[in-house]
Amino acid sequence: MVELLRTEKLTKSFRGLVANDDIDFTIEAGELRCIIGPNGAGKTTFISMVSGHETPTAGTIWFKGGNITGLPVHRIARMGVVRKFQTPTVFSNLLVYANIELAVLARNCPVRQRRARVLETLDLVRLSEVVDQPVGSLSHGQRQWLEIGMLLANQAELLLLDEPTAGMTAEETHSTGELVRRLVRDLNLSAIIIEHDINFIRDLRSPVTVLHLGRVLMEGSFEEIAANKEVRAVYLGEQE
Amino acid sequence: MTAIQPVAALRTACRLGASESGVAVVVLVAFAVLPIFVSGYSIYILPQYMLYGLMAMSLALLWGFGGILSIGQAGFFAIGGYAIGICFKYVEFMNPAYMGLIVAPAVGALLAGVLGYFLFRAGVRATYFVVVTLALSIIVEQVAVSQSQWTGGWNGMYIPRMSLTFGSGTDISLFDDTPMFYFILCIVAIIYILLRWLVASKFGKVLVGIRENEDRVTSLGFDTSLYKTATFVISGAVASFAGALYGSHAGFVSPSLGGVLFSTSVVVWVAIGGRASLLGSLLAAIVVASLSNYLSALAPKYWQLFVGLIFVAVIIFFRGGVAGALSRSNRLRSDEAGRNG
Repeated sequence: MVELLRTEKLTKSFRGLVANDDIDFTIEAGELRCIIGPNGAGKTTFISMVSGHETPTAGTIWFKGGNITGLPVHRIARMGVVRKFQTPTVFSNLLVYANIELAVLARNCPVRQRRARVLETLDLVRLSEVVDQPVGSLSHGQRQWLEIGMLLANQAELLLLDEPTAGMTAEETHSTGELVRRLVRDLNLSAIIIEHDINFIRDLRSPVTVLHLGRVLMEGSFEEIAANKEVRAVYLGEQE
Repeated sequence: MTAIQPVAALRTACRLGASESGVAVVVLVAFAVLPIFVSGYSIYILPQYMLYGLMAMSLALLWGFGGILSIGQAGFFAIGGYAIGICFKYVEFMNPAYMGLIVAPAVGALLAGVLGYFLFRAGVRATYFVVVTLALSIIVEQVAVSQSQWTGGWNGMYIPRMSLTFGSGTDISLFDDTPMFYFILCIVAIIYILLRWLVASKFGKVLVGIRENEDRVTSLGFDTSLYKTATFVISGAVASFAGALYGSHAGFVSPSLGGVLFSTSVVVWVAIGGRASLLGSLLAAIVVASLSNYLSALAPKYWQLFVGLIFVAVIIFFRGGVAGALSRSNRLRSDEAGRNG
């Protein structure tokens, strides 16, 4: 397997409050990885540094062998590291079609192929039937899929998904899990997923990284994580 | 079959009439035939209002499509007026009007480019940007007052009416109002078409995306500060170009042309017409300016109150302006057209 993204001693402090502390993290091409941890563990901060929304205080981020530490968001996105925000961040006043179209326009796609690319993407995220509708009429779950669709149309190689199932029904959560697994498998993408939903994480059957107080507590399969006493104490224990 | 064809033709005509392009064609034809029926003061003053409309469209592009409000458009307009005036004074080797019509948008673009580059690159918030453009308007007015060796100070500057030269001796004088009317009508129509093309292009779509959700556009890999700067540059260049034509048409520019009062009027026109509609902004500028002119003679004390009431009513009842209210009824169709286009 080829290393896709690696962070080296990645650290972020906000006026003395250390949100991420010496994080060494690696993800390989074609890999799906979940990041879990209690509130305040530094999950979103970590994603934000990778996507360029926050500048690390110290440490380095390598993507495909190149140093992307502290580059502006749009340049990191152009390289193929694209982020889905915690709350669906879509163009609420535009049509579903126009949303995906903007993502296609970001990659120099020939004019004649644009329309086909948009429709293809809508098919992948199962939104073909609402292509003509304004985003305002979509359900919360559909908006999340629309944003994932925008990442795909943007030809992302590494998806950064910050709580993709937040606010979804159990059924929507289940089909989102299937969607993400299918995308990673069929399109040869990689994804880092921040999640709270334990069932969703188990269904993904992917390696899990546990963050706690800004540090990597442990990494392993879902079963290993679930069996670990320390993890249960800081994370799963909280839910009992 | 033969009975259906006229019905179908009528239906097509109605559909065309309901679209922005259809209205634009009707308006253009109406203006083109106007000098046949009307003469005198109307034909003199309307080109000036069309140039106000050009300035209104420059703001509509920036505000309606890019979501960036500027209260400094009159500053650019005045810069254009003074630029052509100064060219008339000092340029002798070529038609000074041509020089003015090149220099004016170039200066406007340069100023907007420098301001926009530093402000947008620094990620300045929309509200602060408004304040800077407000300051721009004030600075232009002050410079026009203080640099009197160039601008004539408080007394203003007289500018000759331009003429069209083709280098072969067959010149067209625009000294009479009717040729000038047609010349400015053509220019406004051409720039309107270019701006329509711009907002329908990839650039325009990204611009709307920035208005709707800048974070998302950035996260898709667009350098939004570059797009915003480019939009401000185009907007400033168009406003300055309009100002240059205005200067040569009116024959006179003074510092108040660049002032905050006039800048605010532009915002009012665009808000009334519909900021996301180039045609709405253009027509609102012409209509409101004509109405103001008419009312100021009729009710010198109260006309501003009247215009103010229209403004307030539009803001309360139609936030998208008149054009927004009209297009709401057939939005689905226009969305469809936008998607295919």
